[in-house]
This record gives sequence, structure tokens and C-alpha cells, in this order.
Amino acid sequence: MKLSLSWIKDYVDLPEDTDLKKLAYDLTMDTVEVEDVEFLANRFDKMVVGVIEAIEQHPDADKLRVCKVDIGDGEIKNIVCGGINLEVGMRVAVSCPGAVVRWHGEGEPVVIKNAKLRGVPSYGMICASSEIGLGDLFPAKEEAEILDLSDFDVPAGTAIADALDLNDVILEIDNKSMTNRPDLWGHYGIAREIAALYNLKLKEIKPFETDVQSDFNVEIDDTVRCPRYIGVQIEGVNVKPAPFKMQSRIWRVGMRPINALVDITNYVMLATGNPTHAFDATQIEDHIVVRRAKDNERLLLLNDKELELCSDDLVITDACGPVALAGVMGGAKDSILPTTEQVILEVANFESTGIRRTALRYDNRTEASSRYEKAIDPERCDQALSLSMQYFKEIYPEVKVTGYCDKYENRLKRAEIDVNLTWLEKRLGKHLTNEDIRNKLELLGFEVAINGEDMHVIAPTWRSTGDISIKDDVMEEVARMYGYDNFEATPFTTSFESAINQKDKDLVRNIKEYLAIRCGMQEVYTYPWMNDTYVNAVLQDTEGVLKLSTPPAPNLKYIRSSLLPNLCEAVTKNERYFDDFSIFEEAQVFYDRNYTSPYDETESLPEQKRKIAGAFASSTRKIETLFREAKGVLEYMSRYTHMEAFTFKKEEKPVWSDNVVWMNIYVQDECIGEMGLLSKKVALDCGIKNLSVILFEIDSTMLKPLISRTNKFEHLAEYPETDYDVSMLFDVNTTWNEIYDAIMGPKKAAALLKEAAFIDEYRGKQVPAGKKSVTIRLTIGSPEKTLTSEEIEKVASQVLSKLNKKVGGELRTQ
Amino acid sequence: MKEKINLIFDEAKKKITDAASESELQNVKTFFVGKQGSLSLLMKELPKVDVSLRPEMGKLLNQVKNQVTELIDSKRMELKLKASEVSADFDCSVPGIMPQEGGLHPITQMCYDLNDAFRSMGFEVYQEDDITSEMYAFDKLNFPDNHPARESMDTYWIEGHDSGSTNEKLCLRPHLTGGSVRYMQTHKPPYRFVYPGRVYRNETTDAHHERAFFQYEALIVDKDITFTSGKVLIQTILSKVFGREVPVRMRSGFFPFVEPGFEIDMECQVCGGKGCSVCKHVGWIEVMPGGSPHPNVLRAAGLDPDEYTGFYVNIGLDRLVMMRYGVDDVRLFHSADLRFLKQFK
Repeated sequence: MKLSLSWIKDYVDLPEDTDLKKLAYDLTMDTVEVEDVEFLANRFDKMVVGVIEAIEQHPDADKLRVCKVDIGDGEIKNIVCGGINLEVGMRVAVSCPGAVVRWHGEGEPVVIKNAKLRGVPSYGMICASSEIGLGDLFPAKEEAEILDLSDFDVPAGTAIADALDLNDVILEIDNKSMTNRPDLWGHYGIAREIAALYNLKLKEIKPFETDVQSDFNVEIDDTVRCPRYIGVQIEGVNVKPAPFKMQSRIWRVGMRPINALVDITNYVMLATGNPTHAFDATQIEDHIVVRRAKDNERLLLLNDKELELCSDDLVITDACGPVALAGVMGGAKDSILPTTEQVILEVANFESTGIRRTALRYDNRTEASSRYEKAIDPERCDQALSLSMQYFKEIYPEVKVTGYCDKYENRLKRAEIDVNLTWLEKRLGKHLTNEDIRNKLELLGFEVAINGEDMHVIAPTWRSTGDISIKDDVMEEVARMYGYDNFEATPFTTSFESAINQKDKDLVRNIKEYLAIRCGMQEVYTYPWMNDTYVNAVLQDTEGVLKLSTPPAPNLKYIRSSLLPNLCEAVTKNERYFDDFSIFEEAQVFYDRNYTSPYDETESLPEQKRKIAGAFASSTRKIETLFREAKGVLEYMSRYTHMEAFTFKKEEKPVWSDNVVWMNIYVQDECIGEMGLLSKKVALDCGIKNLSVILFEIDSTMLKPLISRTNKFEHLAEYPETDYDVSMLFDVNTTWNEIYDAIMGPKKAAALLKEAAFIDEYRGKQVPAGKKSVTIRLTIGSPEKTLTSEEIEKVASQVLSKLNKKVGGELRTQ
Repeated sequence: MKEKINLIFDEAKKKITDAASESELQNVKTFFVGKQGSLSLLMKELPKVDVSLRPEMGKLLNQVKNQVTELIDSKRMELKLKASEVSADFDCSVPGIMPQEGGLHPITQMCYDLNDAFRSMGFEVYQEDDITSEMYAFDKLNFPDNHPARESMDTYWIEGHDSGSTNEKLCLRPHLTGGSVRYMQTHKPPYRFVYPGRVYRNETTDAHHERAFFQYEALIVDKDITFTSGKVLIQTILSKVFGREVPVRMRSGFFPFVEPGFEIDMECQVCGGKGCSVCKHVGWIEVMPGGSPHPNVLRAAGLDPDEYTGFYVNIGLDRLVMMRYGVDDVRLFHSADLRFLKQFK
């Protein structure tokens, strides 16, 4: 919202030497955020009123004239101009070199320089209104019409800002910072706040009084939605421009002057924050009734939108039907017309939430609706009415009030609150005297009664529509009037009962740090919604997947039940730049199933888990290597993150995986995830060109953090242990699991065998077809003595014969 | 003969001392004690020596020969220990081999930094689910029925759960604060916890607006807390992020779930508070909302607002990370673009 400082000064005696920076700062700290303070005259720097002395045709251009212009102090300048309404003796706006204008009112600002136009030197420029930002205040009737300032009786050389009385300051307030303060939505409200902050005198707006007697009537059908409605029938008006000062102020704060009748209503709204409206009285049949619309009733608005109304809309009606959408916009037929000579002025109060619903329903938010929806107090109608009548009388001295009706049945109740002073002091963390507290609240219009420990506070009407409703609100008023900057930070006292022990949080952090720092993977974040392409490629089935009602894009409706689709998308996107990389993500997944009510029995929340997924992508390494690296990351995870170890089994193939390269991941007997090679088909469907991708996904909510680090100390071997490598031939289908089980399984191959480790595997020309050679390292030793080579050989041969018997292994001879 | 022997011995000692390399030393060895070496040649001349002197000369000659050999051996060891194990032209300026690349997302890094700071002050770390009901997203936080944020333009509602009463309507959480109510409902006061998480808003994106972004909420609730204690929370966050004390100010602000509410500004770190284009020439930058939880919020959590009060701040992690590193496009955080993410080690 924009505010004019000179307008504010109409209502509060702000000293001439007020420091504007401080005013903006104080308002920002204590009340509302002042986003900008603009000196309006700066826009018109180096622009003066010039008087055209002579006009000649440009020698080389049909459409250009060369004007001799008096720009003050007897200086006559040559200015080339293409304006169509140039006349000798005319007062014009001249932008001198250094002034900033916009060509034809559009595009980027341009700094005026001395220039030659088609060979003729020109000092600056004679401007159209739009070129110097005055298009809304002085609308041009035709293109190439320059701004005619002949009505302003000022000498040549007068600065434009002085000539048009634009030496004003515009404060721009962040609307978001005042949504809770309906009382501030107007110049009078801000003036009242400034008066309170600085203890200045606020000008009172005296209520309008009339003794007119007539049968003029208004009727309110729904007093909840319309607590108050004042109608005034006024004769002796016509459509003409409003006084320049009124137009100028309306324009300064961002609206457009229209004509005196409309401008009065807008001006009063900008002054008091209470919207008003004027109907052409001759168009209103019988009398005004404020009621709910009937379903399917129609109304054509001022902006030519035709609405089909519903019974939740409040409308102003006459005998023929709706004439205005209450609190939002007038109807086209019954509002001010060029011929209007008699009006019915509406000064009314409407309930906030209904106005909001209606404005949103028709996507038709207006200056009026945005004020009503903040909850304006009905008492404010008095100020709006009084100001309106004052301007009607000023602008139309012959004006006559021929009808008046004020319907206001349920008067606003002022908010009353009891505040315990000990409580107040505790919350403030500071002692203030009763007088201090009383004084600060009274400045804001509160009535205060203090009785010992108890303070009874009555809020002013303009703060009684919800803004002030509990004692905490009163505390805030005291605190901000005292100034938040004046409270020192008080450290909070802490009592430590026990150490923070959050194993589950630690585990996830340990895993993330393990993957990133030890395994060299990069953490990524992706959105919770998935692209259909990757859903179809990776998940292939959307059963049980939740959807958004209003997704960011039509192909992003599914929200993830797995992290893998988005991870595949990330792999695809990075393939352009990298040929060997690994990434992981830890995030929440969602399922349309297993609804529970953990917090409130009426609430029903879907199943939500957290998962950790990773992708190892490479076009430079063999799939076999990539797989073993990925598996290594999972196998060693438990060791570095203090949780139960994983085991791997082939139970159920993931839909996205290669037929051979995949494993299910287990913790004890529970399957907690899967890993595998992304199948060629799925990779192609994802748009992955050359990379091989190993994926894993585990359910982090099912991981079991260890209560403490539990691996046990083992005594160092007292007698030497020997590593003994053997290479054996096995059938290609024999797995390492089977080999290991044969050696180390429940019936260990030899008592003195401590461990058997996989070293490598070879397939190729050196071994017979259908066979592979596996090198195994046996660790052999005794806790009682140093073994002789015969004893070691004996252990090895026991292992070999066990392998031969169990899994058909044969010693490789060459 | 004796003089000859001593002369050779002296010469040998000198040459051994002067030898600068193992190969030079080998030459010395050949010259004196080799088969054709000077000492060996003298040995051959021994039969010519007078018989009476012969045993003495033979003994001396052997002694000298042994001493020379010993000297050569110890010199060889000395040279060996002095020398480099690689060739002298080894280039130490060749770049090192990179350890495995990888890292945490910059948002995670920031979050862990803050967690560490708050844990040291006795705060727990809390986490809640992303999908919540309208009741917890808005009702329990004192949002009026008609608050604009409830409309679909701001919140992502879940299909099939987007109508009905507020306990039936489900959405991706638009902020974290509803989760804080869940925490309070299930724990006993006093409370001291931080709550990092991702939140979602249905809006148009650009360099400064995202549909998914990260918040960090800190809440303290106890019996005797004044709103000025909140400044301590704020200073903790900012000094952790910027590594030094950053001036902050609290000013009047309005949020439905706090009373009183504050906008919290920090001194602009670009100009040091003097005013620049980043801070729109005011010297301050808005960083977070804060305030005392509204009595209705405490009531929703099952607490008596006459007994308990507290302080809450909620900071945008994305924005802090952007300020910390000078990132100019918030959308990069969800891009999964390794060219971007690899920069944060």
C-alpha cells in the first residue's frame, strides 16, 4: 500500500522537521514494514514548465516542429518536437538535459541529452504526459499529444514538481505486514498510529449530521454478512473532473482518477480504509435491499464480467435484482453514468470472510474487497460518511441530501480483556510501572483500569474486530510501544536432566556421512513428485501411489513411493557431463495404504517411510566391478554406522533390475531393501545412453541402530597364523556362497581353519569350458602352538577334499 | 715396507672419506683391496721381505686391509642412508591423486552444523512426516478458516483427500510448525528441540522461489521464558552460519501461530549494515519469523498457556545457504546437478 505523507499530515500534526528515515524506521520496528520512502519530486528532476514563444516547421521533417521555448530566467531554447497540439503561448513540460523520461511512456528510462534531430539542435524535450509518468493523471486523448499545462498559472522555469504541487513523500508499506491490522488500511489509520507512537495530536473527524425527513429506506436481509449499511440520496451533482488536488493524491498512491463522483468514493476509501460506492439514483428501482443472491441470479459488473451468482454471495439489490456485488464491485447498469445527476451513496460494513469467498470465487479481488476481507469495524462508516459529505459539499456547492438511512442493529462490542500484571511482567522480562503501561495503552486508544494486580483493558473499536482478543495481544501492544530494541536478550536457563540420545537420528547421519565421505558418493535432493516417464520406466505400476490434486505439471502428479525414479532422472541428467559417478538421496516416501491416527483419532495419515537410495553409474568400468563396489558399500555400511549388518538373498527380483544382477537386502529376517543392475530396457526408457547403473534402496526406518558399539575384543594370536592360497576349479554355476558355506559352514572343514576369503575368480582360456577358477585364502593357526608345515598342509588338504565332496571343486593343476 | 703400507693406508682413508657415491666407493675398493689392488699387490711382495720382519709385516698388512674394508663398508652404509630412494629428478610439483569425490548436499551440511550447535545447548533433533492434515497444517496453528494459505494456490493437496473437513484433508506440509504441535502432544514439557525439514508450496518458481524448500525450526517452551530469550536462539543460528556474531533486530510482525510475532532481521553481510543494493539500502535483511507460540497453539498441544510460554524461530535454510556461498538460484538445490553439488566439500 502506498501512502502520501502530505495526506497523512491532514490528520496528524507531524512536525515539519520530522526525520523521515526515523519515521520509516519506527513504523517498521513497531508497526508495519515500510519498504520504500520515495521523494516524489525526484521523479521530475530537471523538468520545468516552458512557455512556447514561436513554432517553425522543421526544414527536413514533415512531422517535426522547431519551437522556441522560454524555460525561465529569460532563456529561450530551440526544442524540436513532434507534438500535434503545439500552440504559441502554451505551457508545456520541458525535460532538460539530465532528466529521466520514458519514450512514449514505455520501455527503459532514458536520460535526456542535448541532441540534434534531423540536423537541427534541440535542447531537451517537450514531453507527453506518459513520458514523464503522468499518463494516469493527465490522460492523452490522442497519440503524439503533448502535455498542456496552460491551466497551471506559473511562470516559465517553474519546476514541474512545484507547478503541480508534487513535493510529497510516498511511503510504501508491505501489505503482508498489516494483514492483521485492518485499522491501518488508510491514511487516517496510519496517522492515528503515528500519533500514538509520537504522542501527537490526531485530528478528529466529526460525524455527519442531517435532519432530512423522507421515506428513503434501505433494508438489510442478512445482518451477519452486512452489520451496517448507510444510504444517502444526494441530488445536484454531475459528472465532471475532481479538483486537481484530489486527483493528484489518488494518483500518487497508485489509483487512477476517473471523475469527481467516483473519485470521492475512492478518495474516502484511501483516507479511511472504508470502501464506499455511488449508484446512479435514477437507476435504482424502489429501495435498496442487501441480501444473499439467489442461485443462478446474474449480474454484469463494472468491468464487464458477467457473473452467475450463488447463494453464498451477498448482493445489493433493487426491485429488479442485483445492482452490485457487495463489498467487491458495482454493477455496470446502476453505477455512475455520464448522465448521472442524482446518486445514492453507499457507506457500508460487510463481514470479512464472506467478501473474501466471493472475491475469490469470481477471481475478482478489488481495492474494496481486499480491505473488507481484513475485517473493518462498522464504526468506521461514520468517518467515511462524514468525509464523503464534506467533499460532496466542496465540489458541488448546490448539493442536497434528499434521503438518509443508517441501518446498524448489532453494534460492535469493544473487546474487553483482563491482564494480570505479574504475568505481564514475567512475559516482558522487564518491570514497567503501572503508569507506563497505562500511558502506552491509552495512546493507542485503549481504556485502562488498574486494580492492584489486575488490569482491565477495553480496546478501541478499530482494534475490536479480532485483532485484539487475548491478553497476549495486550502484551504485544505494550512491548512494541516500549520498543523491541529496548529489551535486552535474556539467556534462557537450561536444566540438563540427561544427555541427548537419539540413536535413530545419529544412524541416518552416520549413513549419510559414510556414503558421502567414505564411499565418495554425492548426496542429492530431488522433488517428492515424480515424472511420469520415470514412473513408467522404473516403477511400472502406480497401484498405491499417491497423487497431487494440483501438481506442478500434468506429468508430475505422482508423489514418490520410491526414491529410484527420481534418482534415475538425476543419472540421466548428469550423463551429459560425467561418465563415472555415484549419488544418493535420503528422503520420505508415501503410500496410499495403512492409514493410521497416531496423534488425533479423527485424523487419518497414510503410511510414510524414509528411504535411502543410491546409484552407481559408469560407462568406464565393468559391470562386474561396479556391482562389487556397490555391494561393498552396503556390506561395510553396518561396520561404520553402528547398526545390525545386512545379509543378501535372492528372493524377489525388483521390476527394474537385470535378470541376473540383483539381490534383496536383509536385516536379520526382514527384507529392508534391494539392489541390482538397472535393466537395459529400463535404462533406455529412462533415456540413459551409455551408463551402466547399479541401484540400491533401503528402508531406513527398518534399520536397527546398535545400542552401543558391540564388536568384542579378540586376543591377539599368540602363535603365528598362516595365509594359504589355493586356486580351485568349480562349475561356473557354483556360487561363492556355496563354496564359503562348504568351508566355513556349520561343519567347518578343519578345526584349525580360522577364515576363508575370496581373492579372485577367473574364467577363460586357461580353464576348461564350463569351469571357473576361484582363488581362496585360508587363514590357518592354532591357539596352542606354532604349526608345522605338515600340519598346515593337512588343514589345506582337509579343505580341498571338503570342497571336492560338497561342491565338486578340483585343485587347479597349472 | 712398513712406510709403504702406512702411506697406502692414509691414501685409502682419504679416498674413502672423499667418496661421494657408491660407485666411487666401489672404485676405491677395487683400487686398494681388489685382486689387483695396491694392498693385494703388496701382499704378493711379502715373500721378498726379510724373514725376520715378514710375520710383523704380514700381520700389519692384514690389519690394514681389514680396516680399509671396514671403512668402505661403513662409508657405504652412510651413503646409502643419505641418498634418496627415487631418482634425483623426481618432480614433487606433480598434483596429488584425488581421494574419492563425494559430499553431503550443502543444505545437509548447514543443517548438521546447526544441529551440532543446538545439541550442545541441550536441544533434541526432531523429524516428522511430510504429509499432514489440514488440521495440523492450519487449525492447530490458529490459522483462521479463511486464511489465504489454505487455498490450493499455496498448498499441494493430495488427490482423493482434498475435500471434506480439515482432519480429512491431506497435503504436503506447507511449513514445519504443525509438526511441532505433534511433538508437544507426545512429549512432556519443558521442550527444547530443533526440527529441520522440507516444506512445499504450490507457487511459480524462479531464481528466488521454489516449490520445495528447507526450513529449520527451533522451539523452546518452559514456564519462565520471556520473548527476549528468543534473541539467543537467533544469535546461535547466525553465528554458526557466518562464523561470527551478527547483529540482529526484532521488529513487529504478524503470523497467526505466534503472539507476539516478530520479523527478525540481520545486519546485511554484504555491506556490513551501511546499505547496498542487496539490502535495498536499509542495512538489514529479513531472515526469519519468530515469536512466542500463540496460546491457541499451546492449547492445541495440550498445554496451559497461563503456565507455559516459549519462543520459536523458523529459518529458511535455502536462503541461508545462498547467503553463505553466494548462490543466486534457489532451484539449483533440487537440480541434482553434480556440477553444482560437487562445489560444496
